[in-house]
Amino acid sequence: MRLSKLRPLAVLALAGALIGPAFVARAQAQDAMQLLRDAVSAYSKYSYVGQVQNVDFGTSRALAVLFRIEHRAPDLTRRWYLAPESLYGESIISNGDTSYDVDPHNNRVVVVKDDAIDDQVAEDDNFGLLLHNYRAVMGPEDNIAGRRAYSVLLVNKHNGATVMRISVDAQTKVVLEKERYAASGSVSHQMHFESISYTNALPNDLFAVPTSGYARVNGPNHGIPSADLQAVVRTAGFQALGPKYLPEGFLPIAGDVSDIKGVRTLHLLYSDGLRTVSIFENARGSAVDLDSYTVHQTSVRSHSAQYVLEGPTTLLAWAQGNLHFALVGELSRDEMVRIASSVTP
Amino acid sequence: MKQHLKNETIIDYLHGALSPQEDASVLAHIEACEVCRAEFNAEAALTEMLRSYAAQEERELPPTLKANIWSRIRAAQPSPWDRIAAWLRPAVAVPVAAAIALGAYFGTTYMTPRGAPSIEAAYYLQDHAALNSTIPFSDRSSITPVDIENGTAIDTTQQTAVNVEAASYTADATQ
Repeated sequence: MRLSKLRPLAVLALAGALIGPAFVARAQAQDAMQLLRDAVSAYSKYSYVGQVQNVDFGTSRALAVLFRIEHRAPDLTRRWYLAPESLYGESIISNGDTSYDVDPHNNRVVVVKDDAIDDQVAEDDNFGLLLHNYRAVMGPEDNIAGRRAYSVLLVNKHNGATVMRISVDAQTKVVLEKERYAASGSVSHQMHFESISYTNALPNDLFAVPTSGYARVNGPNHGIPSADLQAVVRTAGFQALGPKYLPEGFLPIAGDVSDIKGVRTLHLLYSDGLRTVSIFENARGSAVDLDSYTVHQTSVRSHSAQYVLEGPTTLLAWAQGNLHFALVGELSRDEMVRIASSVTP
Repeated sequence: MKQHLKNETIIDYLHGALSPQEDASVLAHIEACEVCRAEFNAEAALTEMLRSYAAQEERELPPTLKANIWSRIRAAQPSPWDRIAAWLRPAVAVPVAAAIALGAYFGTTYMTPRGAPSIEAAYYLQDHAALNSTIPFSDRSSITPVDIENGTAIDTTQQTAVNVEAASYTADATQ
């Protein structure tokens, strides 16, 4: 064959070599996005039993919880706690937006209603926010609890930090492992299935809430959160303040108003689709009771402030005139103080 | 009074050092005699200037004097044992003990005005977690039934939701 006839083939091969990786990368990104979408909905499609370990890492210690889980799609779940010892024997039965905390030590069932769980519109909006602020990158294949799994890294588009890694079952797309990373890059939270079996034969009895011998107590009713934050602020009944600074990509996404011990408390939630921060405020002069925690001192502008650490979550409390604030989130302490310092009239 | 006042008499008058009769006599002369009034005004101005200068000198002590005073104070500081003994004196120890007791009693409601209930941190942590449930990959399963650190249940029964007026959802967050 003459060389001149080989030339078009060479050009095609060169073009393929140059363009191919770009197509592959784009296809991988689309695969990762689709994987995320499937993972979000897998919970409501597949029924399973298994054992899960949750670890929350604080700055100097970690809190680990081990529980057995029985889940019947779409929204019936029972978690039976195996460890630590103080939780052994307790269980939480979730049925849609209502959960029943079965506490055999105190012979009571605490009923908690959380309307946000069934808010599909808000879930869709927040998933859109996640895609807006994060790049999904396919990681290596894995084997978790004997199941083949794909891993996806969620990388913040604004600062390039990997905020989360999830591993999903290659067949069902159920999330089998999840790691959340702190701003420093260290692991702040880990969820891991130690075993899992898919089944459609979970009897109703498994999810029955005990009645005889148990007192039923109503827990907090979190109400219907609203994305109409102006209406939420109006309902608070006082001149509320919000932060003027938020990390890049964060938006106000929901809010609610609660009466806690008769104190009307405004709660606004900000998120970038993955990370969140909440600000609570009241105008009744009710401070945060931090007695059960190790309290650290800091300052918010010229105001003295206190903060506590609960695993990866920081709660920062301060007062400003007659307004008392609590800022709760998984961001770094410096970032939390910066947000708090921007809460000005 | 034909003779003019002596300079010493004017100075004594300015300093209030004359007898009442002399003081009245000098005042009458100054009002009638233009020459002595001019002399009086000049002395008065000079006296005022001297007073101002003296006041300035009083404000700024020479640096060496300050250094000497601090040096003596440091040299006279009590020993550590003297300090402990001073704190144990009833006049100091009783008010301090009372302040500590009051601080412990009211410490649970720091910065809380009288009558306003303090709100447990757990409420905020739970409410934050509850509102997080619509965030993708939020960990619903990490909400544990009790406060692990203390092994005691949190009393969450005193919280009620308030209906938000005209609640409506927008999709701005995703745009």
